[in-house]
Amino acid sequence: MKDPLTQRLLFLCGLLVAAFIAGSLLSSHFLQASTVGYLLQYVPVLGVLGMAQTLVMLSGGPGIDLSIGATMSLVGLAIAGLFGLGVPLLVACLIGLVIGGVLGAVNAFLVCVMRVPSLMGTLATFFAYSGLALALTGGSPIGGIPEWFGVLSQGRFLGVPIHMWVVFVPLAVGLHVMLSMTRFGAHIYAAGNDERAAFLSGVNVWRLRFTLYCLSGVIAALAAIMTLSWFQAARPDAGEGMELLSVTIAVLGGAHIFGGIGRISGTVLAVLIVTTLQVALQLANISQAWQLAAIGILLIGSVMADNAVGDKLRARARRAAS
Amino acid sequence: MLAALALLCVVFASQSEFFLSERNFTTILRNSVDLAVICAGMTIVIILGGIDVSVGGIVAVSAVLIGRAYQLGMPDWVVVPVGLAAGALLGALNGAIISKSRVPPIVATLGTMYIYIAVLFLVIGGVWISGLPNTLSFLVLGDAFGVPSGVFVIGAVYVFSWLLLRWTPWGQRVVAIGCDEVAARLNGIRVDRTKIQAYALLGVFAGIAAILYVARLRNVEVNIGTNIALEAIAATILGGANIRGGVGSLIGTLMGVVFIKMTQNGLVLIGVSSLWETVVIGALLIIVLILDSLETRRTS
Repeated sequence: MKDPLTQRLLFLCGLLVAAFIAGSLLSSHFLQASTVGYLLQYVPVLGVLGMAQTLVMLSGGPGIDLSIGATMSLVGLAIAGLFGLGVPLLVACLIGLVIGGVLGAVNAFLVCVMRVPSLMGTLATFFAYSGLALALTGGSPIGGIPEWFGVLSQGRFLGVPIHMWVVFVPLAVGLHVMLSMTRFGAHIYAAGNDERAAFLSGVNVWRLRFTLYCLSGVIAALAAIMTLSWFQAARPDAGEGMELLSVTIAVLGGAHIFGGIGRISGTVLAVLIVTTLQVALQLANISQAWQLAAIGILLIGSVMADNAVGDKLRARARRAAS
Repeated sequence: MLAALALLCVVFASQSEFFLSERNFTTILRNSVDLAVICAGMTIVIILGGIDVSVGGIVAVSAVLIGRAYQLGMPDWVVVPVGLAAGALLGALNGAIISKSRVPPIVATLGTMYIYIAVLFLVIGGVWISGLPNTLSFLVLGDAFGVPSGVFVIGAVYVFSWLLLRWTPWGQRVVAIGCDEVAARLNGIRVDRTKIQAYALLGVFAGIAAILYVARLRNVEVNIGTNIALEAIAATILGGANIRGGVGSLIGTLMGVVFIKMTQNGLVLIGVSSLWETVVIGALLIIVLILDSLETRRTS
């Protein structure tokens, strides 16, 4: 019997190929070298958010961070605002990462200390953060980011956007190593699989989750910095819809919504699939509505498929046992 | 919750003399009718242990179908059932996905939200539907015996829901499932069927809200329903329902709705930009959640 996660990865690879075929059928412009660069332009922001969501989900609870997009918007505005006040941009970015961590810590406090269900707690901070982002700016973007800063998201190295090289790939590799080779990673899976057993074997489950919510905030700040470099301006609605998309990507990538199961490699494949679909539909000039519908169907379908596969495996195990 | 409402009234009344006027209360009432109706259904679904973040999408699809039906020149007695049926159908679809394929409710309704919004865009085509007839406006804007008609609409929906929840076997099944789904199943309750029915009921209420929305504003916007789900969940939780299921109160929810709408209205009256609304609601929600968990910790 094959490991279900490996099966999942194969399934995702198949889906990615299918998405590519669908893309080339939809639009004659799709199968060009330039498409890859174009596609990779979109991957990092969504990708790091998906990874953050995966981490929060993995540790169980059940964990979810609905405020991730709002955090991203707010941090972007904070960085642009600080720069406007005369703070050097790189320092402002560092402060932004700290702010992201603090916003994540508010979630962590609500969920891990006050034990508010994560769905509710982060829904409340989603309201608060996205509201703040709108209220503080009156709804208008903050611009004035210098040209040179654009190199992070607009520059290319070997045809691949620089933020792929310096943010997305290192983060993906780093998190993968953390999850699969370190004690911390093993603890995350333990906490997600069986909270009680993990606690009894000495894992401080709630402190672990606290760390992950903070980390999710910091990663959202990274996404904010990349977006800032890409658009040279901070928009108060920059992260709108990202919370749902990041959940979609994490779940599609095989992360179990109640924790304990999932891999970063799955998330990476999932973000590639989602962006391929988006870009293909865009190139084919198909209305935004279909993009939304496609994501919705993908989300529900992937969980259904997951459940069905799980059922089959369990049934097989039962037959083998009897 | 009553104390919080009273406090809110005092704060706003001291800042704006218009706040306590009869006309302003009628305005608040008129603005709350659609949310209040949805929240009755949301309370039942949350008591059941579920959640529905796609209600905004259901309202949007129902409203746009109502708008199109009106544009085709159909009379009220066709249009109203169309809106209700659309709501019931979409709600039942949510329930079916959740119960038959065991996708967690938040994920399933997140997915259907995308799909419903896509349907909205495809039907509406990016342009407002406006200039709809006002034959149903009396439901929201009119009054009977000197009492605004919204009172009767809200009253009817809440009395119906309360009777359903507290005095019928169906209501007991809902609470039982919310308390312990496995135990309910083992006791012979048809969990799947009850779930589908509950989500369908919420869908019907969303359909009613769509009718009220169209009756009040006589147009259908492109971004209709974007905030409804979050506001409805916030109101229900503020009203004392437990997100883990099994516990909830319709009266509490109604107060939660009044609380949210009064805050929105009061902030505008005292001259705070409406952009701060969400911040205030979010902050309030955080405070209530913290108080809630402190309370639970003390009693347990």
